Amino acid sequence: MLNTGQMNPPENALPNAAQNILDTANQLRWDVGGSAHEKIVEAIYTDAARIADRAVTYPNTPPRFNLDRTIDRLVTSRIWGFPLMILLFTFVFWFTIIGANYPSSFLAWLLLDNVHPLLKEGSAAIGLPWWLDGLLIDGMYLATAWVIAVMLPPMAIFFPLFTLLEDFGYLPRVAFNLDNIFKKSGAHGKQSLSMMMGFGCNAAGVVATRVIDSPRERLIAIITNNFALCNGRWPTQILIATLFIGALVPAYLGGIISALAVVGIAMLGVLLSFVVSWALSRTWLKGEASTFSLELPPYRPPRFWQTVYTSLIDRTIYVLWRAIVFALPAGVVIWLISNVMIGDASIAEHLVNFLNPIGWLLGLNGVILLAYVVAIPANEIVIPTVLMLTVMVTGASQYGAGSGVMFETGSQETMALFHAGGWTLLTAVNLMLFSLLHNPCSTTIYTIYKETGSKRWTTVAALLPLAMGFVVTFVVAQVWRLFAMMG
Amino acid sequence: MITTNERILSEDVLKHIYKCEKNNRRPTMESIAGVLQIKQDEASTLVSKMAAHNLLTLQGDEFHLTEAGQDYALQVIRAHRLWERYLADETGFDEAQWHVQAEQHEHHLTPDEVEALAARLGYPTHDPHGDPIPSASGQYVPHGGQPLTALEPGQYARIVHIEDEPPIVYAQLVAEGLYPDTELRLKEISTERVRFLVGDTEHRLAPIVARNISVLPLSPEEVTEQTNTERLSNLKIGETAQVVRLSPACRGPERRRFMDLGILPGTVITAEMVSPSGDPTAYLIRRSLIGLRKEQADQIHITRDVVKQ
Amino acid sequence: MTTPTVKIPAGHNCATCPAHNIGNLTKLGINMENWDYVVALAGNPNTGKSTIFNALTGLRQHTGNWPGKTVTRAEGGFEFGSHRYKIVDLPGTYSLLSTSLDEEVARNFILFGQPDVTIIVADATRLERNLNLVLQVLEITDRAVLALNLMDEARRHGITVDERSLARDLGVPVIPTAARSRQGVPELLQAVHDVATGAFVCQPHRIKNEPPALKSAIKALVEQLETAFPGLPNARWVALRLLDGDQRIIEAVKRGELGDLTRDDPGQTNGDLVLQLQEVQHA
Repeated sequence: MLNTGQMNPPENALPNAAQNILDTANQLRWDVGGSAHEKIVEAIYTDAARIADRAVTYPNTPPRFNLDRTIDRLVTSRIWGFPLMILLFTFVFWFTIIGANYPSSFLAWLLLDNVHPLLKEGSAAIGLPWWLDGLLIDGMYLATAWVIAVMLPPMAIFFPLFTLLEDFGYLPRVAFNLDNIFKKSGAHGKQSLSMMMGFGCNAAGVVATRVIDSPRERLIAIITNNFALCNGRWPTQILIATLFIGALVPAYLGGIISALAVVGIAMLGVLLSFVVSWALSRTWLKGEASTFSLELPPYRPPRFWQTVYTSLIDRTIYVLWRAIVFALPAGVVIWLISNVMIGDASIAEHLVNFLNPIGWLLGLNGVILLAYVVAIPANEIVIPTVLMLTVMVTGASQYGAGSGVMFETGSQETMALFHAGGWTLLTAVNLMLFSLLHNPCSTTIYTIYKETGSKRWTTVAALLPLAMGFVVTFVVAQVWRLFAMMG
Repeated sequence: MITTNERILSEDVLKHIYKCEKNNRRPTMESIAGVLQIKQDEASTLVSKMAAHNLLTLQGDEFHLTEAGQDYALQVIRAHRLWERYLADETGFDEAQWHVQAEQHEHHLTPDEVEALAARLGYPTHDPHGDPIPSASGQYVPHGGQPLTALEPGQYARIVHIEDEPPIVYAQLVAEGLYPDTELRLKEISTERVRFLVGDTEHRLAPIVARNISVLPLSPEEVTEQTNTERLSNLKIGETAQVVRLSPACRGPERRRFMDLGILPGTVITAEMVSPSGDPTAYLIRRSLIGLRKEQADQIHITRDVVKQ
Repeated sequence: MTTPTVKIPAGHNCATCPAHNIGNLTKLGINMENWDYVVALAGNPNTGKSTIFNALTGLRQHTGNWPGKTVTRAEGGFEFGSHRYKIVDLPGTYSLLSTSLDEEVARNFILFGQPDVTIIVADATRLERNLNLVLQVLEITDRAVLALNLMDEARRHGITVDERSLARDLGVPVIPTAARSRQGVPELLQAVHDVATGAFVCQPHRIKNEPPALKSAIKALVEQLETAFPGLPNARWVALRLLDGDQRIIEAVKRGELGDLTRDDPGQTNGDLVLQLQEVQHA
């Protein structure tokens, strides 16, 4: 039936007085016109200016030396702006890497090398059944401890440093300096900051996008944050680059070449985040509202100790939360699939066999793919899981500590194990690429959902990099093999 | 039984007849077939069906909307204009797409959705082209403007409406940077061209294009537009100027943001520093340092004439 | 033009009075059952609003030195001078007039949540822009205290603010603070206490210089509103919002909720509003 389009009159229940008021308002809206809102704001500002004029006295002569503006002229200077910025952030990253080394080794020594055997002995002493011992200590404890050892120290150094820069007022200047580059890819200059935080932790980077107040640019920053190579992925990159890429050149060049390979992957991530930002802003996100404003607040001396203390506590709580909520269940899954047998093989072996053909197509293998599936919660445990699974499928039982027990070992042993697993240079290159290009860890996915409140954008953010990873590794593998055949 | 497609077509017929009646043109079977891009016999079947539903009356080759038909047409127009307003205020689609998208959505919004949209937008009275949005009960106040071509040379006027059809003409008006609320002064009018000033910028349009602009004549006292205005982006570092107005092209969240920052007529702004990458520029506005991109600074009209301090 | 006669409560600077001793402040953190008064905390971003929240509640929310920062908790509590206060941290906004969710939530809380006192935090170094929000809040509520924060920064830049002139013009207590070093916090507590208990009656500034068309429209609506809801304390604001087509206010007119706003003894804070606040701050 054709709808005649007539609206039902409002219910008669509405008291007359209320209805009259609303009718009057509707009528008057035509009289005051569309600019009423603006006129109100103008009226308010006029009063504000008058009142402020009466109450505030500014110094008669402007101070000869304006500290804020002097700092600004320096940090946004055409000559010094960028070098200062690069220097500062190089220092932040360097300090994080160097500074995190010792506490990380210490935590690994404590939690993995000492507490873990102690727990095993303890459980043996009280006669815990083997499966409960495995599930609790090798599954839950080890995954949790691993994440804490790898993640806590760099997080506890990187983020307080950032917070200090933020409190001082420097970060908005960074966004100011870099905005033009981000603008060209349809993004907001403040994305530079969420991206840098993403190098520490993508989930934290996603939260940091809150400072972007334009809906479109914020979504872009959230979706592309995963292209910033996070702290959990650096160990994978460094290990593989050292073993495979560094080994291609004479030993004295090995260090620098493998370092360049890792930096190259990180730079590829930055480049891809520009490309994806550009594409998103012109396709899916075209219709989202977009505004820009960047306030450059006055510099304020940060309260050093208080900031460091608060930031440290916040990060520790955050890492512990993540380890318990996300890594712990992953530990259980890893232990279970390695120890529950179907027929004559564990679930893990069945899965590896099933994934092997797909792995081959992508220039990877079933072990790596399975490791990425079960290690969704935390990138930190990918390598230990890969090693454990490789031992399992190759039967090289001289390494490791048994099914479902993640481990890391010296570089020679690791290399031998990889060779036993049939790894080639192609596997290594594609693993580095796939480590950059795959779905974000589940903490990050959860955070994206919390921040966007949208299943749709969460799905896009999770699957887009994964799809890109599949395509890139597939293409690299085929081209590589083509050349290998011709060569 | 009426299919969705037929409903959409008949809604377009209602709109067409309604607009013809408003503009004192006579709708014909040919014009209907033309607007809907269907064959004439299809159009006549449709029109008879609509007559059977008491939406219009047929007398020979003349159509008239019944009261029900008129109400219906107004509701479709309401949905269309609200949707345009929504696109302008709350999304990032550019103006060329507003009309096209609204042409689609006007047919798919239920009365409840239209009402919810109106409420969400704060019951706006006009669409972004200056057309009044009929209220839920179908009432509206016409913009009351006259075609630009009816002005006398030398006369001041304010644009109240820009016709968004046909799209080619509209695109040209958008490209000229003309929007409702813009003040202008007519300089010359002939059969070849219409010449007028907006601020210091001269525009030349063909009369057929200029006819799509509706204006309200202003007496010289009512004119607020000042000459000697320029864009904030022209301000060099260290220079100071006063805001005259925000460009009418700046709307929605962007305009609100500017006002929140205190960028209003009369606000004094100093350019403080440029990003080492050339853009944005930081401006001192009410003692706060605010970075604005060049395209944004283009939206802020300033004058250096009356800078206090 | 009415001239508000405002007396600054005597002895405001008297640090020796027992009532002004910060020792009387008991920070209750998130522990805030059985409060006597509800305090809302409003202000522009980047004015030290969170520092004041933390100073009063003993909670610690870290926020950065720029707008749009991270907020994790919307509520806290404290006890002062034998009264228990619940303090609700509103989203930091530049204005209360826009359609953004933050601003909607903030203005609805001040209007419908009926806090007993609203503390407005302003940046003393950029008073003019901050007054934009202050004046808007004063349109909605007549129980407010202005915390003139960052006074240390202002001094550093050689800016002096005559808080007495400001208090006279605004019609509410004005307390200079430097929350980072806790200066002015005892005085702020005392002012909140005075306004909450009714010992100090505010006569807030209302905007008067609207353009004629708007003024007459407001007048017409205010007359009707005052007949329908006698004693409505902010009829002008309601009228302005009706002209702006504010959905929430239209609802309130329809449902007769405005009648509730005229009661003398404000009820407990509306739970829904607090929930909304938390959602906004988490999303």
